[in-house]
Order: sequence, then structure tokens, then C-alpha cells
Amino acid sequence: MMDPILTSRIMSDVLGGLTNGVMYGLVALSLVLVWRSTGILNFAQGAMPMFATYLGMGLLSYHLSYWPCVAISIVAGFAIGGVTERVLVRSLYGKPEINPVVVMVGFLIVLEAVASAIWSTTPRGLPSPFSPIDWQIGGKPFGLSDFTLYEIVTGVIVMVAVAALFRFTKLGLQLRAAALAPEVSRLLGVRVGRMLTLGWMLSTAVGTITTVLVASNYFTGLTPQVMDSIFAFGFIAAAVGGLDSPVGALVAGVSLGIILQFVSDYLNSNAIIIVALIFLIVSLMVRPSGLFTKSSARRV
Amino acid sequence: MVAKLKVNRAASSAGLIVLAAVAALVAAPTFRDGVAIGVALAVAIAGVATLTTPGLRATHPVVVRSALTLVVLDITLIATYFFSATTNFNLATGAAMSIVLLGLSFLTGASGQISLGNGAFMGVGAFVMAIWANHHATTPIAVTLLIAVAVGALVGLLLGLPATRLRGPYLAGMTLAFAVAFTAILSSFNSWTGGDAGLQLPTSVTPPRWLESFFGSGTSLLTTNSMWLADITIVVTGVAFFLMANLFASRTGRAMRLIRDNDVAAELVGVSLPRTRVIAFIVSSAFAALGGALWTMINNSVSPSTYSFALSITILSLVVIGGIGTIPGAIIGGIIYAYSTDAINWITNQTGLNPQGNVASQLNGIIFGGLLILTMLFAPMGISGAVHRWWRGRKDKSGRLATPSH
Repeated sequence: MMDPILTSRIMSDVLGGLTNGVMYGLVALSLVLVWRSTGILNFAQGAMPMFATYLGMGLLSYHLSYWPCVAISIVAGFAIGGVTERVLVRSLYGKPEINPVVVMVGFLIVLEAVASAIWSTTPRGLPSPFSPIDWQIGGKPFGLSDFTLYEIVTGVIVMVAVAALFRFTKLGLQLRAAALAPEVSRLLGVRVGRMLTLGWMLSTAVGTITTVLVASNYFTGLTPQVMDSIFAFGFIAAAVGGLDSPVGALVAGVSLGIILQFVSDYLNSNAIIIVALIFLIVSLMVRPSGLFTKSSARRV
Repeated sequence: MVAKLKVNRAASSAGLIVLAAVAALVAAPTFRDGVAIGVALAVAIAGVATLTTPGLRATHPVVVRSALTLVVLDITLIATYFFSATTNFNLATGAAMSIVLLGLSFLTGASGQISLGNGAFMGVGAFVMAIWANHHATTPIAVTLLIAVAVGALVGLLLGLPATRLRGPYLAGMTLAFAVAFTAILSSFNSWTGGDAGLQLPTSVTPPRWLESFFGSGTSLLTTNSMWLADITIVVTGVAFFLMANLFASRTGRAMRLIRDNDVAAELVGVSLPRTRVIAFIVSSAFAALGGALWTMINNSVSPSTYSFALSITILSLVVIGGIGTIPGAIIGGIIYAYSTDAINWITNQTGLNPQGNVASQLNGIIFGGLLILTMLFAPMGISGAVHRWWRGRKDKSGRLATPSH
């Protein structure tokens, strides 16, 4: 006998929303990583990984298989993050807060335009090693497939790895120290500049893994704009969860994904971004500094 | 001595005005054209006389500002008479854009916040204008424009209220979300906004009867449509700039600049941070809506694809390149916008790129994005700031006392 709950519309929405939500959570996490280490909201957080993914996955044309290309994409992500921090961002520390916003928006435009100029805006399908066809339970579709499981499992592995890095390693301690008290850390021998670069590298790499997952979806493919809407949802999740709370970013991302899946199923696809915007407005009204941050007094 | 000087100036201005009027009457093709040109010249001379009166700038800044507005308006209006229809259209498009730029420039320059959604606020104005005109065709154009501005301000209030309470880039992020959502919002109200096709105005905006009957049909002055549209756009632009210049110099404007420079000090002297920030954001949204409404009027139609996220980014680029927080910066940005398409086509032709190719279609983004980054890194005050600095440097070299810069 089949289980009616497992194949119900609600169950399928929850699982589909979970998959999207993990993606939003990953983008939010990458935003939080940069925000915590350098106090900059990186508007090119979708475009930089997109570029890295094109660089890596472009090697598919040279008869490289999927997994080596993924690995090269991630390496490219680390590199782009590091170079960007050194070349573009370094001179912006301590400037008025609109300066980094403007520069990163400019970088977003340039990266998307250059990517469109080189690789065109036509979606490029990636040969995902997993089937996108939903599992069947008793002849009815269940809201998961091999591919979505791949997305969720990879997302969870990345989250756990980042958490472990920050919590259990010496490097993680240095990263946290450099963000929290740069002067003291420098005094104690932490290479603060190097830690900031590392924060950007990590963040872009997390973003690249997200982009690879999103673009490997049979129905999406890789385009220069592939991360635009996911970036918007990721930002909303990060703002709702609190820009300096990784846990908040993940929880908000997953909840947003599930809510929006119901919206798109029961209303229509236009309503998704509108509901997300309302979600952001209401949550900022209720809890301005984010749902998961401990409210802290601002020092003058 | 000063009184005598003033009398002399007044007398010579009056003499000039009479001379100009006579010359206009003699030179113009018809008597009525002559009257129009004579009036325009008289306004210009009187305005310049007021502007150059020594000491007036310190005692009566509002008078000087109105005189400056009048002179610039006057000269531009006369110029539209000689321009081709295409130039007038470009001029009007650029002028409306400069209103939007001025709004964002004010928000950023005065209060230190930034909006990535002013393209969407333009869209609000543009669509309100078209929707209202389609439902109430008899409403005078000025009233319809004001309605569009009011709705723009209201939407600004709605979005600004939560975001402006926060420090940090929340306003930027929220306006970005609004800009991305705007196209979806438009298509959710298909029956109102006309879906992908957009809306047409029921009738195009034409010169009023009395003006046409004054000049008689058939004369070219003021009666061709492109010129008339350019003329009202320019007048509205002038009024908007005049209001903004006064707001910038007012108590509220000073409070905003204090917030930008040191918000703690601002709070200490009794400036309400959230309220002042919200006001700045509302003003910026209202100006954007006005620009969008004017675009609908100029084009006689509105299409949702115009008001995509890319437009918001273009607006941001133009403000930064022109110079944040300055009035000349907004004008420079408007001029750049009016000619950017032509300039990019020219570059495409000169470099021999395939106009339909990938590179040529992305040239706009590459150039604007690149300029945005370079300006912010190397000349954060944009063109107007760079010119200002160069000018002051020249003055300093020529032996005058250097003004201390902060």
C-alpha cells in the first residue's frame, strides 16, 4: 500500500522548497562570510561564482568529465575571490559605506556583460551525473530525485564543513579573531590582511559550489544571469536571518525556500518575488537586526 | 556708491531689454514670433542682470536660484526652436532622466544612503501616469504628473520605513529586491498595466488651444509636438531642480548632510535619524516617479521592459559618473544618458564589431560597469567633483588664497 502523505502535494512542496531553500541558504551563508570578515555586502556574490563556474565547466568542451570540471570551478572560485579582495576591495575598507556597494554593483555588471560577451546568453546544459526524474512511491511521484538529493546533501556537507572550519580549527579561530578584533589579532600575530582575503576566497568558493548545483539542474542550465534571482532570495534570507549570523542565514534560507514553493504552487510564479519582498519588509519591521542576531549596542 | 551702481545696472539692463525687443520684432518672420522672441530675450537679460548683482547671493539666495533657473530655462526653450525633432526628443529624455539622477544624488549625497531601485520607482511613475490617463482622459497633464509623483512618494514611504531604520546596506538590498520584483509586480496586475505590451496614452499631449491660436496654425514656433513635449519636460525639470536646490540648502538638507557625516552628532543636536532618512528616501522616489511619468508623456506610451533592473543600475552609474550630491553632476549624467546609445553605436562602428554580435550587445554593460568601478576607485566625486577640484587648483595657482578643504 502507498502512503498518501508521502506523495501528497504538501509533501512535494516541502521537499521542493527544501531543495531551493538550501540554495538560498548557501548564498546567504556566502554573503554572511564576507559581511562578517569585511563589513561589505557583496552585490557581486552571484556574479563572481557564475564567472568561476563558466571558467571551470567550460572545460567540458575539451572532453573533461563533470567532476574534474567541478573541482576546477571551485579552484577558480577561490582564485576570483582572492584576487577581487586584493585588487578591488582592499582600497575600500574604511571608506563611506556606499563606496563598496557601488564598486561591487559595477563589478556585477562587468562580470555579467563580459560573460555574456564571451559565452553568450544562451543557456548551457551541464551533464549532471544524477537523474532529475522524481522518485516514485507506489506509482506516484515523491518530491525528491537523485539530483535534488545531490543538491541537498552537497549543501549540508558545505555548511557542516564551514561550521567545522570556524569552530574547530586554528585557522577558523584566526578568521573569527581577525573579523572581531583586527588590531588585537594583529598584535597577537594573526595575519589579518591574509585572513580577510581568505574570507572572500571561502565565500566565493561556497558561492561557486552553489552555482554549480543550480546550473547542473537540467531545467536551468548555466547562463550569465543564472544567479540573479537566487542572489536576491539569498540576500533576503541573509537580511532576515541577520547579516552576521550564519545559522540565521541557513534557517531563513530554508524557510524562505519552503514558503516560496507553496506560493508558486498555490498562487503563481509572479507572486514568488513579491511575497519574498513582503517577507523581507515585515521581518525588518518586526526585528530590524535580523531574527537570529543577539542585539548588540553600537559603539560610538 | 553701491546704490548708484545698482541704478546704473538697472538702467542698462532696461535699455538692453528694449533694444532686444526691437531687434526681435524687426528680425522675426511674423509679429507674433517677434513678441515671443522678445519676451524670451527680456527674461534672459533681466535674469543675468539679477545674477550678476554683487552681494545678492549672500543676502537673497532664493532670488538668485530662481533667476538662474529662469535664465537656463529660457535659453534652453529658445534652443528647442532651432533643434531637430530627434535632438528635442533626446533633450527631453535626458532632462527627465536628470530629474531621476538628482533625486538619487540627493539621497546619497545628503544622507549617505543608496538606492538600487530608482529604475523601478521611475516605472511606478510611468505606469501611474499611463493608467490614470487611460481612465480619466480629461485630467490636465499637470495634475496627472502630480498624481504619479504622489504615488511614487507613497511607495517610497512603504519601502523606506523599514529599511531606513537600519544602518548598513539594508536599503540598498531592499531596493534591489524591489527592482528585481518590479517586473513581476507589473505582470501580476496585467489587466491594469497591459501585460508585456504596456500601455498607450489615449491622446498625445499637445500644446493648449490658446497658444496655438496665438501663433496661428502653420507657424512652426511652439506648435510642433516634439518641441512642445521637450518644452514642458524642460520646464518641469527646471522646477524640480529649483525645488531641490532650495531643499538642499534648507534646514532639512543641512540635517541630512550632518547625518551623512556624523550620525551620532546629528542625533545629539536633535535631528531625528529615521525621520530624516525616510524623508530623503521619499524625495528620491518622488523625483524618480516624476522622471518616469515624463518619459511616458514623451514617448506617448510605456513598456514594462524599459523598467527592468538594468535601468536602476544605469541610473546609479550615471549619478556616480556625473558626481554624487551635486546639481551639475545630475545634469552631466542626463546629457551622458541622452547620447549614450549614439556613442555606443559609434564605438561599435569605429571598432568594426558585428552590431548583432555578443560583444557589441554587451558593450553598454562593460563600459558603464567599468566606468562605475573606475570612478568610485579613483575619482569618487565623479566628473563634476573632478572639474571642481581642477578649477580650484587653477585658482590656487593663480595666487589667490587657497580655501581649506575638509
